[in-house]
Amino acid sequence: MNPLSVNVGKTELKSPIILASGTCNFGRELSEYYDLSILGGMSSKGLTIKPRAGNPGVRVAECASGMLNSVGLQNPGVHYFIENDLDFMKESGAAVIVNVAGHSYEDYVDMATTLAPHKDKIDALEINLSCPNVKAGCMTIGSDPEAIKAITSKLRSLTDLPLWIKLTPNVTDIKATALAAQEGGADAVVLINTLMGMRIDIRTRRPILTNNTGGYSGPAVKPVAIRMIAEASQVLSIPIVGCGGIEDYKDVIEFMIAGASAVEIGTACLVHPSLPVKITEDLNKYCEENSLELKSLTGTLQRW
Amino acid sequence: MVTRKEYRIKLVSNELLNNDTCYLGFYCPEIASSAIPGQFVNISAGTMFLKRPFGIASVDREKGTFNIGVKVVGKGTEQIKEFEVGTEVDCLGPLGNGFDFEDYDNFILTGGGTGVFPINFAYETLTAAGKKVTVVEGFRNKNQVILNKEGYVITTDAGDAGIKGTVIAGLDTLNIEDSSKTLICCVGPIPMMKAISSWAESKGMKCLVSMEQRMACGAGICLCCIVKVKDDGPDGYKNVRCCKEGPVFNSQEVIF
Repeated sequence: MNPLSVNVGKTELKSPIILASGTCNFGRELSEYYDLSILGGMSSKGLTIKPRAGNPGVRVAECASGMLNSVGLQNPGVHYFIENDLDFMKESGAAVIVNVAGHSYEDYVDMATTLAPHKDKIDALEINLSCPNVKAGCMTIGSDPEAIKAITSKLRSLTDLPLWIKLTPNVTDIKATALAAQEGGADAVVLINTLMGMRIDIRTRRPILTNNTGGYSGPAVKPVAIRMIAEASQVLSIPIVGCGGIEDYKDVIEFMIAGASAVEIGTACLVHPSLPVKITEDLNKYCEENSLELKSLTGTLQRW
Repeated sequence: MVTRKEYRIKLVSNELLNNDTCYLGFYCPEIASSAIPGQFVNISAGTMFLKRPFGIASVDREKGTFNIGVKVVGKGTEQIKEFEVGTEVDCLGPLGNGFDFEDYDNFILTGGGTGVFPINFAYETLTAAGKKVTVVEGFRNKNQVILNKEGYVITTDAGDAGIKGTVIAGLDTLNIEDSSKTLICCVGPIPMMKAISSWAESKGMKCLVSMEQRMACGAGICLCCIVKVKDDGPDGYKNVRCCKEGPVFNSQEVIF
């Protein structure tokens, strides 16, 4: 019996640890540091129909307990991915989550149609409705519950692959956007993507990021993620994949108590690439010492 | 295949080179034995969240140590400067692609700023291999001149040490016998590397530049540290990772 096994809807994972999109590329570089088969899953770099060069200039600025990034969805395009990276991800032994981005409703439809013939190699599609670093699509769509519902139900009609909708925290009511994804037929929501932020060079009075703004991630955003997961779990019947600032096994447990069925780890792996190895060991030890299965923790928050 | 690991390494020396630049030595036999000039390490900077990248300045393979040079430019490097011997840091390395010295007999190593550190490693490596090496380094003024060795051509903007002018004024004094057999390796601020790259092109010499960019992971996974290079595709350029495809590039490929 594997105490770390969890389910995200119909997707079975051997561990709740998933590498977050944009912080593991397609896994090759990290496979030099550890055996990726220990992972529950790996979410690909955000993909678009056509290759994207991403944003120019400075893309990273450090902040208290985290960082701003404005990579701007640089990616080789979904066709290149299918030919060159998908098999590597599949053979890694981690569940393959393909992160799908776009600039318009049509882009997402194109992506789902393009990926459909390869569904045997894919465990779930993570629909990125939350990237703050591109001018159109993504977060613009992901802030509007009606648009979320429309796009999710359209994708639902196109694929029977599990649909995980990755949502932005840059909204006033996360329950409304999460519910919209559920009503559209999503299998899960992923909470949260990055928080929009800015840093300024006081000598030049220019933003440090050439894109002016970027997405804030890292341990600093953890309480925001936990609050949003806890709120969303009160209204959702579909599972939540938690994401935002996880650094150690205690954070994983905290996210699961708040309502997450699995978690994504990202920014902390940029600092310690082999962090998932340590977290996996610690979670196994925790389960053994407490004689429990990790999945029993999900949604066990005792509110005051 | 697992070929890399994260290191926790100890500081063995820390000396000031001038008021804002220090020279640190770390004990890590794995890095000392495998690093080549142009490669870098990413090390933790006290309380800061992200690691900081530094070009390797020297290795002592027998002692198992390597050196880096650190100029204070912000909160992270301020803390590194104050590290005491015995301090432990997290470290990834050696990272990136170093200089490819093959097929050349003569070398011009040139640059300035913190570029003098990787240049030092290249100088030590090439002279140990018996190669003919000329070093030309440019600085703002006398106080900035660091790691200077006998025979180096030095230029200063202020003219208070060496030749007055930019590093190009120093390069212009060289008597180059066979430009096709001479490789230029350049590490310095971007405007300086751009000027040296143009100078090399005008002389018909191949020039390798070591680029720098604000970096997060150093491991090739975040795509933050991009360098714009020429490409045959519809855009005419592409963004590649400084930490993985670089930091050393053929200067003709880089769009400065």
